[in-house]
This record gives sequence, C-alpha cells and structure tokens, in this order.
Amino acid sequence: MPDEKGSSIVVIGGGISGITTAIEAAEAGHSSVIVERNPYLGGRVAQLNRYFPKLCPPYCGLEINFKRIKQNPKVSVYTLAEVESVAGSEGNFNVKIKKNPRFVNEKCTACGECVKVCPVERSNSFNFGIDKTKAVYLPHELSYPMRFAIDQSPGVCPGKSCAKCVPACKYNAIDLDMKAETVELKASSVVYATGWNPYDATKMDNLGFGKVKNVITNMMMERLAAPNGPTKGKILRPSDNKQVKTVAFVQCAGSRDENHLAHCSSVCCMASLKQATYFREGDPETKAFMYYIDLRAPGKYEDFLKKMQADANVMMIKGKVAKIEEDAGTLDPIVTVEDIVGGKKITQRVDMVVLATGMEPSLKVANAGTNVKLDENGFVDADAQAAGIYASGVAKRPNDVTTSLQDATNVALKGIQSAVRR
Amino acid sequence: MGDGTVFTPDIGFVRGLKNSGADTMKQCYQCATCSTVCELTPKDNPFPRKEMVMAQWGLKDELAADPDIWLCHNCNDCSKYCPRGARPGDVLSVLRKAVIAENAFPRFMGTIVGNTKLLLVALLIPVVLFLCVLNASGHLNIPAGDVVFKNFFPVQLIDSIFVSTAMAVVFVFAISVGRFWRKLNVNPYKLMAHSMLLPSLFETLKEIFLHKKFQKCGANIDRTWTHRLVLFGFIGLFITTNWAVFNLYVLKWDSPYLINDPNILLIFGSQAAVMLYYAAFKIFGNVSALVLFIGALMLFTNRMKDKGVNSVSSSYDWIFASIVFLVCITGLAAEMLRVLANNAQLAYPVYFVHLVLVFYIIAYLPYSKLAHMVYRTTAIVYAKMANRDVM
Repeated sequence: MPDEKGSSIVVIGGGISGITTAIEAAEAGHSSVIVERNPYLGGRVAQLNRYFPKLCPPYCGLEINFKRIKQNPKVSVYTLAEVESVAGSEGNFNVKIKKNPRFVNEKCTACGECVKVCPVERSNSFNFGIDKTKAVYLPHELSYPMRFAIDQSPGVCPGKSCAKCVPACKYNAIDLDMKAETVELKASSVVYATGWNPYDATKMDNLGFGKVKNVITNMMMERLAAPNGPTKGKILRPSDNKQVKTVAFVQCAGSRDENHLAHCSSVCCMASLKQATYFREGDPETKAFMYYIDLRAPGKYEDFLKKMQADANVMMIKGKVAKIEEDAGTLDPIVTVEDIVGGKKITQRVDMVVLATGMEPSLKVANAGTNVKLDENGFVDADAQAAGIYASGVAKRPNDVTTSLQDATNVALKGIQSAVRR
Repeated sequence: MGDGTVFTPDIGFVRGLKNSGADTMKQCYQCATCSTVCELTPKDNPFPRKEMVMAQWGLKDELAADPDIWLCHNCNDCSKYCPRGARPGDVLSVLRKAVIAENAFPRFMGTIVGNTKLLLVALLIPVVLFLCVLNASGHLNIPAGDVVFKNFFPVQLIDSIFVSTAMAVVFVFAISVGRFWRKLNVNPYKLMAHSMLLPSLFETLKEIFLHKKFQKCGANIDRTWTHRLVLFGFIGLFITTNWAVFNLYVLKWDSPYLINDPNILLIFGSQAAVMLYYAAFKIFGNVSALVLFIGALMLFTNRMKDKGVNSVSSSYDWIFASIVFLVCITGLAAEMLRVLANNAQLAYPVYFVHLVLVFYIIAYLPYSKLAHMVYRTTAIVYAKMANRDVM
C-alpha cells in the first residue's frame, strides 16, 4: 500500500477544490492531508449565497463534503495552518507547516457562552468587514471543524490579562497557552489548491471603493444576500441601511486590466447576472444596470444570460465604468460610462454599486518557501512544475466552481499516480 | 450585402501611424475607459474610443474630418487608465501629425518635415540657402573687430529672407487651413456649424490664453505651466522681433543701438527717455527668451519624469522639443558671446546655427508639431460653432 510509509497527498488549501482533490484521492484509498490557513474549510464557496446557474445554495454541497471527510479516516485536516516550506521530489516530499494556535481545543461544543463574556470586537473577515464579531468567534454557521476560534491577530484578543472566556466555558475548551507548532508531513505529491483572493478594490482609485460608501464588491454582495450574512439576506446599502432599489454592476473591475489583473477572471459576468436575480426576485420594481466590455457566458450559461436579457428591468450597457462619484446629499453613487452602442457618455445615479472585482491568485503574493512555478499572472503554470507538484482549481486558472471540481478530481488522479509510481 | 456602408481599410495609413509611434493602438479592445476618464470630451459621441477603432481600421478620411482629435490636449488620463496599454493619448498625438501632413501644401514639404529620417534635409535647406546668400553678397567670412552680428549677416538680408518666408508661411497656411476646414465641415456637424464664427473664435482664443483645457487634465496637469511658458515665450519673442523691425524701419534706429544717436534723442526728447525705451526693449526680449528657455527645459523634464509610463513621445515630438530648446541655447549663447566674451570665432558660428534653427521653426511652421497652433485653433473654433466643444 502506498500509505505504509505515512506518505500521502498533501493538499494546500481547503476550499472546494482542495477538499475535492483530498476526498477523491482518499475515497480511492490514498491518504490525503488538507492544509488550510483559515480556521475553517470551504474557502470562497462557503461565502457564496447561491451558485449559478441553478441558484442553489453552496452550503448543501459543502455539507455533503464535510460529511465525506468525517467518515473517511484517510483524510486529515489541519486548519489555521500555513505552509513554511516544500522540499524534496516526487514520492518523497517534505512539507513543513506551521500550525497557528486556535486557543480553543476539540472540547468545544460551539455553545457560544464564551462570546457572551468576551469584551473585544473584531472586524468580521468572513463578511468582508461588513459587521463585527467578538474576538472569540465561530467563523460561520457551517464551520468545519465546528469549533470556535480566538483571533490571534495583534491588537484583538488581550490574552491572559483578560481571560473572561476561560471560566465561562464549562467544557474547559479555551486554552490561552496554546502555542504555534511546526509539523512535518511526508508527501508523495503536493497539490496547490490555494485559490484566490478578491482583488483589492481600493487599488482602482477611479472606482471609489473605500471612498464612496455605497460601492461594494461582488463578494460583499454575496454576504449581503446570504441568509446567514450580516443583514440576514436583506440587501441594504452600507451608508443608511436603505433597501436597494437600483443597482449598478460594474464588470471587469480590475480584471482584463494591465494596471491591475491582466487576466479575465472568467466568472464575474455570470456572478453579476446571478446577483441581479437576488434583486429581481426580491422586488419586481428593482432595476439593475450592468456595464460590461464583453459578456462572457460560455456554453450552457448563455441560456442564463438570455433569461436575464429578457428582463426589462435588467439593463445591459456596453462600456466600462471608469468613474464613480458620490452625491454629497443622498450618498447615492453616480457612475460615468460611455454607452458605446448608444454613442453617448452617460451618468447613472443608483442606490448601490457592485464592483465585479476579479480573482487574484493567492500564490501571487504568498508563494514564499514553496517550489511552485507561477505564470505572469500569478497562477500555477501546470506545465512547468517538477514531477509530483500539481495545482487544482483557481490556483491554476480562474474558473467557476463546476470546472474547478472537474479539475480537482483530475488532479486527485495525478496525485494517486505520484503515490503509486515510486 | 450590397447596400450599407462599406469601409476600405487603408493599410498603408495604418502602417504609417504605427511607424510614427501609434504602435500600441492595436491593443485597444474598445472598453471605453478612455472616453469616460477624459475631461475634455463632449458627452455626445465622445472621444477617444471611437478614434482608436477608426485608427485601427485605417479610416483616414473620417479621421481627417474629425475635430475631436484636436479637442484632445494630451492630458493622458486615458493612457493612465487604459487597461491594455494602448495609449490613446499618444495615438491621438500621432493622428494629429498625420492630419498636418495630409493637409500640407506643398505635399512634399509635409513629408520632409513629417518624416523624422529627413531631419538632416530639413536642416540643410536653410544652411545651403544662407551660405549661398552670404556668398553672393560677399559676406562669407568672419568679420574682424568687435562682434556686431549685422557685419556678419546684414539685417537687410535676414529680413528679406525671413519676411518672404513668413509671407509664404501665411499663404501656405491659408491653403492648408482651407483644405482642413472643408474636411471638417461635413456631416454630422455641418448642419450645426453655420454661423457664430467670430464669437467662437473669441471664445477659443480666450480659452487658449487662459489654458482652460489644460487645467482640466489629471495625469499631465504639469504641462499647463510648460505650455504657458512656451506659448508666452514665443509670443514675447514674436513681439520683440516686430519691435526690432519698428526700431529699424520706423525709428531708423539701427542695431547695435547707440544711446547717443542724435536722431533718436530728437524723437524721445531726453537721454533718460531713450535709456528707458532701450532698457524696456532689452528686458522684454531677454525675459521672453528666458521664459521660452524654461518652458523648453520643462518640455524635457516632463517627458523624462513620465519615463514612458503614461506616454511615449514620438521622435517627431522629441525633434520639435529639441529644436525649441536649441533655439534658446544658441540665441542666449550668441548674446553672451557677443556681450560678455566678444569672441568673434565662436559668436558668429553660434549665431549662424541660431538663424538656421529660427528658420526651421518659422519656415516649417505649417508642417511641424507647432502647426497645431493653427490646426487646433481652427478645429476648436469649428467645434464651438458646431456646439461640439464643451467647456
């Protein structure tokens, strides 16, 4: 058996791609390890409200996957873990990971008594800072592992000088003495399933994000629309919690732009079309404006595009928005764009703007210590890797979830081959 | 098929644009960021997005009839925000050059000045001309004694060359602008542009002198001062030249100006008045030269500072900036060599070079980068008449 020496497929990243690669390999009999930086699995998918084009919630798929992990002893999971180095060669990699302290041990039942006594707040990164949690928090409703964590970033939890949560926990689950530890894993192959981060919208100084209050990103939109989000699924704009009646989707906000991300992020057109349904389903009076360079809805997605185009309250305007200003009185954002087909430079006042910010590959900024080779956009160059190094999902190229899943399954086979070959 | 408009892309024109520095234009994917960030474009049918596709397709006639490329003042906000590095600002600059060449009269002059490879030819024309004139009038030597420029190149000879050249320039411009106006005055703007010539001209000149358009620029706002200095430097030197003509032909006061010239004393009444007049003239001329010099210096520093981030200057641009710069250097150097060093061996050759460069600027005005002052003014006037210019 390939597992006998304790060597396994190490999957870096516990998003939907990494989970899939690890589970598929494990269900074929090969042990796998998921190394996840966050305190929870699920990655970006966990933050989504709905999938396109079926408009079903991603939580049900995630739940099935978590169940598969729980039932399968061949999958092990490290959360709050960062890769420090990857060395060696196919069949014999040595992956050094740093396990950051969670300060909450496996005795946690997620009862929430600790939250009641915690005096410190932190910006809720899961909701992109739209709301706050206490310093001890459950990352999200369906966290895997279902366990609280204490934010260890500087200036948040004061540690033992406070320690109010420790006596509040009747299960002795809080351990403020927990230290970071280094773990070395033997691996027959290493799979980078490191995914992406939403591009930092403040870098586009003409689109007003961070200055114009009612400009949000598409991922923030997912959280606003999600029933477990900061507004319990009501789409309220940030400045005054007013219900949004008119919305503008600004496509290619940072993508296909040499000054920002040179690549097309591939999912933003469909994501915005999907998000338009969040508004249109809620209120038939709502108007959505979508400003695009090109509408990319390949294959069967074209049906979804056609359905949205047929909606008289969804206006699609060819032209890239390059200026967003704020009305000083109402705080309404005003977008400026050349309507190419109409032949006019127009402005449109809306209640809220959603920037279709693109996918920045995580490895572009965080590939220190690894031996992975990236292309000019920061994605893993699949053809340039040493034997036994693979990439799965968006780490390799921007893709929707369906395509990432297919890719992740393919990569599981590659990982198994590396294990068997030696 | 059969009906509808059929375009015939002019491949030669496209190649010419690319060779002149518009090599980035094929990068454009028509997202219209440029038209949106542009502060100078009209809202209706804005530029420069449509010009980018017209240039890609080689629509030479449509571009020649487009006033918009002249409403552009090269702010380069478009190039700064362009997601593809297509540099619309530079492309429009090259399109303006193409229009100048297209309307040039005689055509071959447009080619000689427009083609940077023929720079030497353009410079050799005045060199040969001046040498012939000096030779024919028996002045082809370095005069002995104190440096007095008229002993080397008599003022009457200079004036006859330059006055006739200037008259030719006016004539040539009249023909070129006539051609240009006829190209501009077609639909869609023809019907709107029927009157208001003088008020539009007045508005345009006011705008130019106040640099109102430049002040709307974002990425390249520094150029407002550069352009101010170069423009007012040139205007100051133009006034100085006419002032000298007035001194010579009306007051009959010949350079080098003698303060105790009895005729002048008679006209002004007192020695103090002559001194005042003399000082005013000298200070005005020298200040104008310095203003142009600082402006020319800034032409270079602005381009250096940008380092090609937002804009890559074409060789056509560089040549013109260099000529302006060298005119200042040689003019000021000739003055210094005369007044401070009294060095005939250096002063006269430097003066000769200065005259060659001045000739370049004046004689080639209708074909060089500087022709924009006439074309741009014309186009803005037309745009205002057609309610196209929004300021």
